Amino acid sequence: MRNWITGLLFGGLVALTPLAAEAKVKVVTSLPTLAAIAREVGGDDVEVTSLANPNQDAHFVDARPNLALALNKADLLVVVGLELETGWLPTLLTGSRNGRIQPGGNGYLDASTLVPLKQIPQQKIDRGMGDIHPGGNPHYLTDPRNGGRVAVGIANKLASLDPANAAAFKRRANALKAGADALAGSQSKRFADLQVIERHVVTYHNSWIYFLDWLNLIAIGTIEPKPGISPDPGHVAWLLGHMRKVHADVIMQEAYYPTRIGSLLASKAPATLVVLPGGADFAKGQTYLDYVKELADKTYAAIVKDTGR
Amino acid sequence: MHFESRPLTALGLAFGLWAAAAPALAQAPAEAPVDDQDVADILDALTHDAPAPQAAPIRPQGAQSMNPDLSFILDGSLAGFSRTPDQRGGHDPSKNGFNLQQLELSVRSVVDPFWRFDGNLVFSQYGVEVEEAYATTTALPHDLQLRAGQFLTRFGRLNPTHPHAWEFVDQPLVLGKFFGGEGNRGLGTELSWLSPLPWYLEVVGSATEAGGASTARSFFGGQDLGVQGPLDLQYTGAIKQFFPLSDAWSLSWGLSGATGPNSSGRSNRSDIYGTDLYLKYRPATSGDPTVIGLTCEALARRRQVPGAVLGDMGGYASAFWKFDPSWAVAARYESVTGTANDPLDPEWTGGRQRASANLTYWPSEFTRIRLQGSADVRRWVSEPTYAAMLAFETVIGAHGAHAF
Repeated sequence: MRNWITGLLFGGLVALTPLAAEAKVKVVTSLPTLAAIAREVGGDDVEVTSLANPNQDAHFVDARPNLALALNKADLLVVVGLELETGWLPTLLTGSRNGRIQPGGNGYLDASTLVPLKQIPQQKIDRGMGDIHPGGNPHYLTDPRNGGRVAVGIANKLASLDPANAAAFKRRANALKAGADALAGSQSKRFADLQVIERHVVTYHNSWIYFLDWLNLIAIGTIEPKPGISPDPGHVAWLLGHMRKVHADVIMQEAYYPTRIGSLLASKAPATLVVLPGGADFAKGQTYLDYVKELADKTYAAIVKDTGR
Repeated sequence: MHFESRPLTALGLAFGLWAAAAPALAQAPAEAPVDDQDVADILDALTHDAPAPQAAPIRPQGAQSMNPDLSFILDGSLAGFSRTPDQRGGHDPSKNGFNLQQLELSVRSVVDPFWRFDGNLVFSQYGVEVEEAYATTTALPHDLQLRAGQFLTRFGRLNPTHPHAWEFVDQPLVLGKFFGGEGNRGLGTELSWLSPLPWYLEVVGSATEAGGASTARSFFGGQDLGVQGPLDLQYTGAIKQFFPLSDAWSLSWGLSGATGPNSSGRSNRSDIYGTDLYLKYRPATSGDPTVIGLTCEALARRRQVPGAVLGDMGGYASAFWKFDPSWAVAARYESVTGTANDPLDPEWTGGRQRASANLTYWPSEFTRIRLQGSADVRRWVSEPTYAAMLAFETVIGAHGAHAF
């Protein structure tokens, strides 16, 4: 009996020991959009896991212990940074017992260091202003040019972890960057035909600033009175009046926010509510460029919906 | 003079503009209404005229401070009891009127590439206690992790957590009775290991001081006989497992045991065993705020006292339902047995049961207002004790993430 148990335990451990031959670089990203970029850059030479899924609000992901398990085995962790993940990632990171991917480790990449940031507070901030990110607005991946920059940064990091494949990483990253820049150009050309008044949009959260600036759209208000603060009647009433006054065709929001207020405003203003994915659908194989294109296409379609274009 | 010439220039410019524009204005219809298009164009022009953001350096705040993350958490309540209560938690509302449950100062930081530090100092109206102050390794080999300092032992689900993370305003009775009002904690070290199994399985073992009336009750407790050998420390072991049943459903299951000396006589020992189950539902579908949590925790205790072995047990089961981003309800049932001739709780000779219900409202993620009511039936007291509590909690600063 004892031999049987020992054999089972030993067999189990042997079966679980990873085979040295398949030493792919294990990349874990906090968000699926980063995972989509990492997969494209890493190709078959890496294994990519995303901690959050696109339906989850990146501010409030459940720190499920199995995520610490993924981090435990990771060679590289890529995060959005700017305190976006501060409510859930630090616990997991400590629980991972993995020194390589701790901040400052060789396997830690804060992607916000790779892009030009917007809305960096210049004054002293406090929570009376809502949930402000002291380092700048963290939703930079909605602009494909930033995705291209992040791809190059991930390639450099991967190259240092797996020098044998460095050339392949850089080649794929440059291809992604070229595709992203081309997409940025073609979409912004398409949006350039819009009338000024068609460019007005309302967003749920202050999470679209990079997207709007890229496509020359203008945010005239947010459904949240302040970042991270749930809408209240006074603010919604003001926003409705404001939308009627200055005219806004489109309300944009991520799918993980409740749509009740957005639908109400859309029916009363009137305007079109566009519910957009909160991130690339990494699990279903969506690429980063497909994701960004989906954002731009859906927004454009909503803007021109009633104009017959 | 420079200071005067500027306004004068501006005035001149404005006059010039007015003069140039006057003919055009005169030709316009007398009271031309400003229509929506005008407003929109004006707004649009203003938007585009806004000064372009300075060519911002990629990270202007690169020179961040090395200060640790600090946060303050205030828990206070207004409570009323139908008769003298017997609350067992050190931070429970325990008297009629206003109660300062605690003011927690939490200080956290990475120390160096190998350690992080977490400290929780708790202030009452009359003093300060070092609730926790420990260092944790972040890069030990073989998936090991060491903690050293003063910490809450990882016995069960609730003991290692702070009141700030609890669904209810007060501590479960069984934890107060077995471990003390502050929960089981002490100075010591802990080693834990994350197994290489395909699911999450963590093995935890710790050795801590067995003294402290409100932190190591059942062991040396308030009457510390001192350490004369390794058996005079409290040893705690736990196995924590987690199963992601689906994207929405999670199950965690823990088994815990603690053993240590008690003060009823030389080489008399106390053993406590526990198991805890937590089932959580949080849909990963878009826009659904629902969170449902079911928690069960049961403990059994065995103590050697002169001439006898005392055994008792207790536990709680609770359900939590967040049905709106800002609202949740919860209910809890507790039952704890008693024994005759218990040196720690001589009056607690029979069963005790308590039922609580709770309504929580979060105005933002940094404040929480809770209304809780309970009925407490102690067999040795003739009538139930009813309680009502209105509790307020607020957090400032960078309070770190909570465990699952």
